[in-house]
Amino acid sequence: MRIVGYVGDERLGEELTAAASRMSAELTVVNAGPGSAAANQEQLLPLLRTKPDVVLFEFRSTLMEQVREETRQRGICLLAACRGENETRQAVRAGVDDWVLLPASADELHARLWAATARPARATVSQTTSEMAEHLRYEELLYDRFTGFPTLPVMLERGREILERRGRMTVLYIEFVRYSKLEEIYGWEKLDEVLQTTAAAVREFYDRQRGGGGQESHLMVSHTGDDDFIFFTDFPDAVEQAEKRINELAQELETHVRTRIESEHGEDVAGLFEIYVGSATLFRNPKIRPERLIYRGIREAAAAARGVESRERSRKVADLKTTLREEAVYIVYHPIVVTETREVYGYEALARGAHRALRSPEVLFGVAEEANLIWELSRLCRKKAIEGMPRVLRDDQFLFLNIDPHDFRDPTFRYLDVDELGGFEHPERIVLEITERTAITDYPKFQGYLAAFRERGFRFAVDDAGSGYAGLGSIANLSPDFIKLDISLISGIDANFMKQNLVETMVQFANDQGIKVIAEGVEREEEYETVKRLGVHLTQGFLFHKPGTNAVPAGIAAAHTT
Amino acid sequence: MDTKGTILVVDDNLDNIEILRAFLESRGYTVSEAPDGKTALARMEQVRPALVLLDVMMPGMDGWQVCRTIKNHPEFGGVTRVVMVTAKGAFEDKYEGLRSGADDYVVKPVDFKDLLEKVERNLAARGGTA
Repeated sequence: MRIVGYVGDERLGEELTAAASRMSAELTVVNAGPGSAAANQEQLLPLLRTKPDVVLFEFRSTLMEQVREETRQRGICLLAACRGENETRQAVRAGVDDWVLLPASADELHARLWAATARPARATVSQTTSEMAEHLRYEELLYDRFTGFPTLPVMLERGREILERRGRMTVLYIEFVRYSKLEEIYGWEKLDEVLQTTAAAVREFYDRQRGGGGQESHLMVSHTGDDDFIFFTDFPDAVEQAEKRINELAQELETHVRTRIESEHGEDVAGLFEIYVGSATLFRNPKIRPERLIYRGIREAAAAARGVESRERSRKVADLKTTLREEAVYIVYHPIVVTETREVYGYEALARGAHRALRSPEVLFGVAEEANLIWELSRLCRKKAIEGMPRVLRDDQFLFLNIDPHDFRDPTFRYLDVDELGGFEHPERIVLEITERTAITDYPKFQGYLAAFRERGFRFAVDDAGSGYAGLGSIANLSPDFIKLDISLISGIDANFMKQNLVETMVQFANDQGIKVIAEGVEREEEYETVKRLGVHLTQGFLFHKPGTNAVPAGIAAAHTT
Repeated sequence: MDTKGTILVVDDNLDNIEILRAFLESRGYTVSEAPDGKTALARMEQVRPALVLLDVMMPGMDGWQVCRTIKNHPEFGGVTRVVMVTAKGAFEDKYEGLRSGADDYVVKPVDFKDLLEKVERNLAARGGTA
């Protein structure tokens, strides 16, 4: 890299030399000290024609315009070193690529020089191939590959420009909250897909805003290391009107993203996402460093988004209390079929909240967990599920009942007896599904509880097996009757040898131990054919049946589209 | 050039490499080798293998890290098949393989019939998707 410095200040000269040597850049300094402007100019202009990468220009109002013009024509990045507000404003007005306030340390100069060369929107006339390659390499660092949005370092530069130009800027913080169970239920591949949809939807929204004409500038940024986004904008209107625009934008964005997720991944998945938007407006303050102002704005906007989130949460807790009082949950029964014959072997009971906001079980249980009402909710769900058994199940079919990790700490659950199951006298038809995670965290006491249940005739299934929490060893220690393979192992198994190997190992192990293996989440014919070939005993999934409130009518048990 | 494609064998044990090389070359594959993860990644750029046979237990970068790096590479990620060579019996290990994006695995000690079958099925699948 080549840097030309137009420097009069001795201290600046030293710091610049240090910064350049750290970057292994070639530095040429033109003395801008005492002497006529004409003589200095004579020295500087020919140097610009040799096309250095960056020019650091100690601000001179007489030369500013001309230097900007010369550098712009050649695609050279121009960095102005300014003394005070007044010079800064003039430099910005002249359209410098960046500016530093004097005195500036070598550290700061180094950062600015580096950032300056990485700027994406250089008005270059011609770029050599090597420059292009370097540019692309920088871009990879500075742009989020997922969304194509710039990351924070780039944003700071641009954000400062907006702030400088308008004197005011609005930051919208867009927070995406997903229920942690999304990954557990649908697998990480699904989560990736959903995040991709989200990013695309945000992108669309952004493009639409920019394409809308008007005088507003917009800037969308990815918050690195997070799934959140930050949106910068400057509303030309009065503050009160801007407030209205912010609400509109937030609404619009939320609706757009939600609609996209719903149409691509279904209502169930969309129900697991929440979008909260918080905003903060910041005003240029010459006494405060713009970067600091921007960071403060981001924090404020993020806090506002979290405020919205916590208000929503308290509303949901109130809804949950009503749900418990009115017993407003209903049960859907999801058939499990024998892989070979496709006959219904049993049903898994799944709870749904009758209240719309609590319909998704993940949200329902998530809220209950937060509100410390999980035992109450679990009891209600178990009671309802068992009540429906005589109506839905044949005498030779099993009921698979999900047990929450917390249930084992519930005294009424541990000493659960037949009376509490609504007078039901066949515990051997009930399979308690325990997730792998419970097995690990409560292990020592756990086996004792299990033994007591087993003595009374209950059966067990290890749920979500192969989701990475436990190995075969810990599953073996529980000696379950069933192993339910995690959906992440099943989805796309037909095209994934790794998954096939894993399932094959599981089935071999299960056969040795006299355990039956259940494949969850079979959605496609190819997946079904693959698990069948691998010897998986039982299958559950939308390919055969969707969960319903009633039994699968005899005769259509094996019906499915081929 | 070759008709059956290049296989990059990565193993810190040079004897293992020699055994695999002899076998794979006898089946018409071109074999390139690397004793560790870092060298393997550099080799990727030079030989652009169709498939990487990757030992899990290596000093420095382990096989999973190498696999993740390959699979996340914008250029190689989508077109390079990675088959892990792992110790027998560890289900956790195989699950880790899935997480790091590996395509398949063979267990040690390597059974040549199994190896060939897996190499072939992965190259076939690659042809189908590339």
